[in-house]
Amino acid sequence: MLEANDLTYTYAGESLPALENVSFRVGPGECVCFCGHSGCGKTTLLLALKGLLHEGTLEGEVRHGGGLPSGGDILSGFGLVFQNAESQLLCSTVFDEVAFGPENLCIPPSEINRRIVQALTAVNLLEFGNRNVERFSAGQKQRLCIAAVLSMHPRVLLLDEPTSQLDRKGRNDLLAVLSGLKEQGISVIIAEHNIEPFVGLIDRYYTMSGGSITGVLDHPPEQYRCGHLNGSTVHQPRRAAAYGSTLISAENLSVSYPGNPAVLDNVTFSAMKGELVHLHGENGCGKSTLLKAIAGAIRPDSGHLWVGNKDFPDTGELLGKAALLFQNPQRQLFEDTVADEVAFTLKRLKLPPEEIVHRVRSALALCEAAHLSDRLPLTLSFGEQHRVALASVIAPDPELVLLDEPFAGLDPTQRLRLLKTLSRLREERGTTIVIASHDPLPDAEWADRIVVMENGRCVDKTDFG
Amino acid sequence: MNRKNILKSDYACQYRAADSPVHRLPAGWKMLLSTVLSVCILVTREPAPLLLITALCFAYYFFAGLTLSDLWRDTRIFLIQFCILLALFLYQYGYPDGIWPGVRTSIQIVLFFIPGIVFLRTTQVSSMMKGLRGIVPHRVLFLLFTSLRFVPFFARETQEITMAQRLRGARLSPCDIRRTVFWRDLFSCIILPLLVRALKTADEAALSAEARGMGARKERTYYDARELERYLAESRENSHPPDKGDSGKLS
Repeated sequence: MLEANDLTYTYAGESLPALENVSFRVGPGECVCFCGHSGCGKTTLLLALKGLLHEGTLEGEVRHGGGLPSGGDILSGFGLVFQNAESQLLCSTVFDEVAFGPENLCIPPSEINRRIVQALTAVNLLEFGNRNVERFSAGQKQRLCIAAVLSMHPRVLLLDEPTSQLDRKGRNDLLAVLSGLKEQGISVIIAEHNIEPFVGLIDRYYTMSGGSITGVLDHPPEQYRCGHLNGSTVHQPRRAAAYGSTLISAENLSVSYPGNPAVLDNVTFSAMKGELVHLHGENGCGKSTLLKAIAGAIRPDSGHLWVGNKDFPDTGELLGKAALLFQNPQRQLFEDTVADEVAFTLKRLKLPPEEIVHRVRSALALCEAAHLSDRLPLTLSFGEQHRVALASVIAPDPELVLLDEPFAGLDPTQRLRLLKTLSRLREERGTTIVIASHDPLPDAEWADRIVVMENGRCVDKTDFG
Repeated sequence: MNRKNILKSDYACQYRAADSPVHRLPAGWKMLLSTVLSVCILVTREPAPLLLITALCFAYYFFAGLTLSDLWRDTRIFLIQFCILLALFLYQYGYPDGIWPGVRTSIQIVLFFIPGIVFLRTTQVSSMMKGLRGIVPHRVLFLLFTSLRFVPFFARETQEITMAQRLRGARLSPCDIRRTVFWRDLFSCIILPLLVRALKTADEAALSAEARGMGARKERTYYDARELERYLAESRENSHPPDKGDSGKLS
């Protein structure tokens, strides 16, 4: 039994605690979930349990098996899997990665071999032992991270937003793994703001807000179930009849990469002016590549592409007319202030200064980020950075906005807020918007049309117009 | 793989799992062999011996189960130094006197690195660390090999950041290279976000290492990849596959 009593933690230099009087219990083979919006203290709680909060002040106690665990007990007995699989994989091959923890614990080599086999078997990756981790999908990387922790034989597994990067298949594989671990008596603690994938697995829910536990439930709290947002839809009127002419027309587009000869395989896709399109499909199905091709960032191997008035436009020709927002906003933020960040493209378009000021204000207001205007972009929270990045791509008033996995890392409220902003963008400016995501949209009624992609092809289209 | 795919990007100098005579060589022997070959390349000046060493280098490369496209990925970066060196030799000695020494020196530089590339391509990090543990402190080895692991990651990040910034109007195309704006955009739009990503990634990687016991004890053990292969083979031979029965259970 794991028991936390009155855990309170304040980060160094902060006056308000990030965790406040957090108490809970988890039995062997139990799975509990801490759910709450971004910044509610979920990740801090997991770091506190794992003993990774070195600065700041931690009060309260954690008991495991009836006593206070020593540093060594915490090290091997509590396994923490971080949110970002990419940065926590430290070795080049699967075997090396899984051996890393036991090697640090001075486990004898013969025992490490046994543990590697056990851990990789548990996550169904044994056959990939010699594989370079770079070749893995997001789901495989996540499972490998779990294996790398399991090889240390933890009794408590801590998972920080484990499905944020995973598609349906990756999630199902992960759920099967977690279910098996529960059966083996391992306690599983999940910190998540989208509990929907785990509802069949979780025994108890702790809702968190402002660093405190605000409720304990034995049924899933509805507000944290993406896709089950009762009454929270953005309800935009369908505008099919009011569509203008065709803005994007792609016919038989094909794109190949080394080792992947058909990333796009004769894809035919179109979008009308002012249309809201959801491009839906699993990771690796070609959604991002299609968006990049439309934005002129990559040149297709064959086929025909027409965007606006241009055949195969390049990035220069589409500057200010089409915009692509990538998944991680940090990739594009570099200016000293939010206002400068949003003005960057406008300056490159050589617009008059007064026009630039007007458009920056307008874009920030639309994205509900006007109050951040003088802040340094890199010091903002993830959700705020996301809004600033969106403002910077819509500031030139493009006819077409393409968004690649825009919901990753956003909590349900932020996701709905984003959809509302995009709806307003269409309503006020008639912008065509294409969202590529592996998840269904938080509001199923938002898109005018859903295009499903699979293995580099568009396999299904649902038109609500 | 078609020509276009060979020319497109992939990751160089990363471990490639295969069963080749070179893969089976112990890391220490490979290191010795690579050093000898590299030194031979460095001291050779005449065309005939250089040709022989070149043949040996390529034989070593292809015996390792590596392919022509791997070779292209591993050595294409040297095209830049090839062009620069050739230009410098032509500038210094004129045409045609500068051609042979320019070509020879450039080829020697490429060949000098090939045995080392074979070492990286065929040796697992664990074997390298095990081989070097008495010579180099583990923390330094960890830093070195973890950096290698993140080379492809940052190559991908650089590509994505460049693409995102060009779409926003950054002047980063090759035809802008002689303009001041190119270098300003290169620093502010690419290097700065990349540095931020690098710092964040380093922070997360350090936390992950600490969470898995890195530095918790003065000593550490090293698993033996070949012992592990034997253990797996035995498990399969005994028709007791590790994915069935009790071995999948975590005790």
